[in-house]
Amino acid sequence: MIKNWLSRYNLHYPRSLVYMLQASEYNIFDYLAWYHKTQNFSRVERRKQFVKTAKGLLLLVIAWTILFFLIGTAIFILWTVTGSLKYILSFLIVLFSPYLLAYGIVIPLLVIRVIIQLPIECLIISKAKQKLKTHTAVKIGIAGSFGKTTMREILKTVLSEGKKVAAPPHSYNTLLGISQFVKTLKGDEEILVFELGEYYPDDVRKLCDLVQPSMGVITGVNEAHLQKFKSLERTVKTIYELADYLGDRPVYVNGENELARKNARSGHVVYDRGRVGNWKINNPKTDLTGTSFMMTKNGTKLELKSALLGLHQIGPLAAAAEIALNLGLSFDQVKDGISKTMPFDHRLEPKTDNAGVITLDDSYNGNPDGVSAVIAFLASLKDCRRFYVTPGLVEMGLQTEDIHKQIGKQLARASIEKVILIRNSVTSYIEEGLKEEGYKGEVIWFDDALAAFAALPLLTVKGDVVLLQNDWPDQYQ
Amino acid sequence: MKKTIAVIFGGRSAEHDVSIITAHTPIIQSLLAMGQFDVWPIYIAKDGSWYSDQAMNDLAYFKQDNFQSNLARQKKAQILFDNGLKIIWPGIRSKTIQVDIAFPAMHGTFGEDGSLMGLLRMAGIPFVGCDLFASTVAMDKVLTKQVLAAESIPVVPYVWFTKNDWEMNGSIWIEKIAKLTWPVFVKPVHLGSSIAIAKVKQNSELKNAIEVAFHYDDKVLVEESVENLIEVTLPIMGNEELRLASIERPLNKTEFFDFSDKYLSGNKKGDGANSQYSEIPANIDKELAKQVEDFGKRTYRTLGCSGIARIDFLIDGASKRVYVNEVNTLPGSLYHHNWKKAGVSGIELISKLISLAEERFDSQQKTTYVFDSEILKKAGGQKMVE
Repeated sequence: MIKNWLSRYNLHYPRSLVYMLQASEYNIFDYLAWYHKTQNFSRVERRKQFVKTAKGLLLLVIAWTILFFLIGTAIFILWTVTGSLKYILSFLIVLFSPYLLAYGIVIPLLVIRVIIQLPIECLIISKAKQKLKTHTAVKIGIAGSFGKTTMREILKTVLSEGKKVAAPPHSYNTLLGISQFVKTLKGDEEILVFELGEYYPDDVRKLCDLVQPSMGVITGVNEAHLQKFKSLERTVKTIYELADYLGDRPVYVNGENELARKNARSGHVVYDRGRVGNWKINNPKTDLTGTSFMMTKNGTKLELKSALLGLHQIGPLAAAAEIALNLGLSFDQVKDGISKTMPFDHRLEPKTDNAGVITLDDSYNGNPDGVSAVIAFLASLKDCRRFYVTPGLVEMGLQTEDIHKQIGKQLARASIEKVILIRNSVTSYIEEGLKEEGYKGEVIWFDDALAAFAALPLLTVKGDVVLLQNDWPDQYQ
Repeated sequence: MKKTIAVIFGGRSAEHDVSIITAHTPIIQSLLAMGQFDVWPIYIAKDGSWYSDQAMNDLAYFKQDNFQSNLARQKKAQILFDNGLKIIWPGIRSKTIQVDIAFPAMHGTFGEDGSLMGLLRMAGIPFVGCDLFASTVAMDKVLTKQVLAAESIPVVPYVWFTKNDWEMNGSIWIEKIAKLTWPVFVKPVHLGSSIAIAKVKQNSELKNAIEVAFHYDDKVLVEESVENLIEVTLPIMGNEELRLASIERPLNKTEFFDFSDKYLSGNKKGDGANSQYSEIPANIDKELAKQVEDFGKRTYRTLGCSGIARIDFLIDGASKRVYVNEVNTLPGSLYHHNWKKAGVSGIELISKLISLAEERFDSQQKTTYVFDSEILKKAGGQKMVE
């Protein structure tokens, strides 16, 4: 308790506050939410470090200036004011200086944002909108609570076999991120693929106004960011802003996701592991080397094989194949394109180390549908010991307990041999779910993810499969 | 509340340095990674001084160039064995740590030979690995052969004698050795890690080999060499229910698997015998493998081993005869490389050994060692005087 309180008086404290602002992408609400729940500020920079950007350094200077100002004020009062009250006043200023700093640092941030950042951003976005308006490429927008990046990468890989395709890198899915990318376009691109991020209601509509898509993919709706959306209805409404914008133009909807399927409208093309449009999907197979399936329509057969893992990938792959065929690619081009789709960074990406342990890095997958799909994939693996490592999922709002109990039950049903849990506010629910389902394997606890990662080489032997599910950034620790 | 575990290593033994490696890889390394224990290293220096500092949990501490001078500045620890094991740092800022479990990681004399196990039995805490009796017998290669032979477990023909016997009348022993089938091996009886072992092919080499062995020990064993030799070893774990690792065959570079092959060759990390120099599992006949496993289990039980041990075998490739060579109650680095190939990770190995230690301790607690008697009251009475 005292240790926690004293951590606010550590010399690292101002840097920790600025780091967290940076880690929260300068979102003041997220920063304040982190500040209110954090007890100990001595080890904030755990997973990442403060990056010395101009904005970050400026804020750090401002933070120290605020701190010196507060202490200077306290000293000034001691020297100049008479009467015993000056001691109490000076003491109170010093006592509350960490709190005043934590809130005070937000004010210059707001000032910077209003005076400098927002006008510049508006200009960049407006220029990008103009550029996209005159750009002749087919623009595909992808919205959904999960699976957007995977869909974007699949589409980019497959369509590149016959078209000149461009898509924003990393997870550039905000107005500013996409606008920055648009600046790099040369104008000769035939297809542009955009991931439309949704963090708050109305986000997708704003992105549609910028991107002006002529085709859309809705990958699914679930509890991701539920804390921000407050209800799943609002999430559905936000994601379907893409369908609203497109009207009669083509919209592909992931039929494997219940909410997406239920909200699909007439004319939408529903895809899943059994069908896409008029194509039927047969002979689905998956293992650690990849996934294969056959698409058939009116006697035409298309045998496809991807290095992506899991049967849940068949739907998006088939949808991409259909989109590609509709955009004029040949069967061979589609086949080649699908064969070139690979696991993406931190999304069920397999790596075999020198000791012969296979790690499936799924640390960017932090949504319930993705987790279910991955557990189903693990369940299909035979003749190996399976480790499932997770700190649980974040931002699940009121669904937190239920979702994590479900994960525990799924793991128990899949008979995963070892479940490694990171101690935090949600993983105890996974343990409850495991117990409720009569789990027979071993649960191993670690205080933090880094300790678990360090222990993994000592926990595993050749042939073991280790799944790293989700990763908590520092603001959730 | 985390349990406190003390890993005891070093010691006045020729295998002092090997013990440091074993203590760190995999024991301390795994214990720290598990995060379930407060790990206290107890290091016994070559001069017999005891130290304990958590900085010693890092192997790098012992690799420093100024290790000896650092150690000289280190405050010695006192160990109390009275009703539990306590580490005490005396002085104005004295400190005491109560140890819940001990993990002996000492090879050879004053450690693996049962000395340490005796102290830990006196302290009355659970400790990992074989108990006093098995450790003592296994440390004496001659005693081991005698016990095993009594249970009809095959051992190669041998002659043994003490330093005194040799000095009194060496020629008698030379004659007895001459009756063995040559070549022969000369071994100090109590040393492990193949230290001071020599293969003697002709008479002229014998005396020197015996003198070298007596330099390290006061009891020497001379045994027949098994020709067409297939040397294999089998790590075993358990108390009542035994789990076998893989049969391992050292791939000899020299005529026998010596100290350097075991601990220094190939593996840059120096973490004990490694796969490059061994074949795991050994490529031997199924029938031979079965015999090795059967003799291994019988040897383990006959010596009363518990926790972990490694049984070494000599196989005559031509006659297909299997002999038990010796028993190692604390295999170097616990042979974790072999266990790993058998599907047991470092952490699983260490946690299993700890649970076996606790299981044995609980069972021992049920044994009655003291009882009330009237003997003191009667002492000094008429019958006693008579």
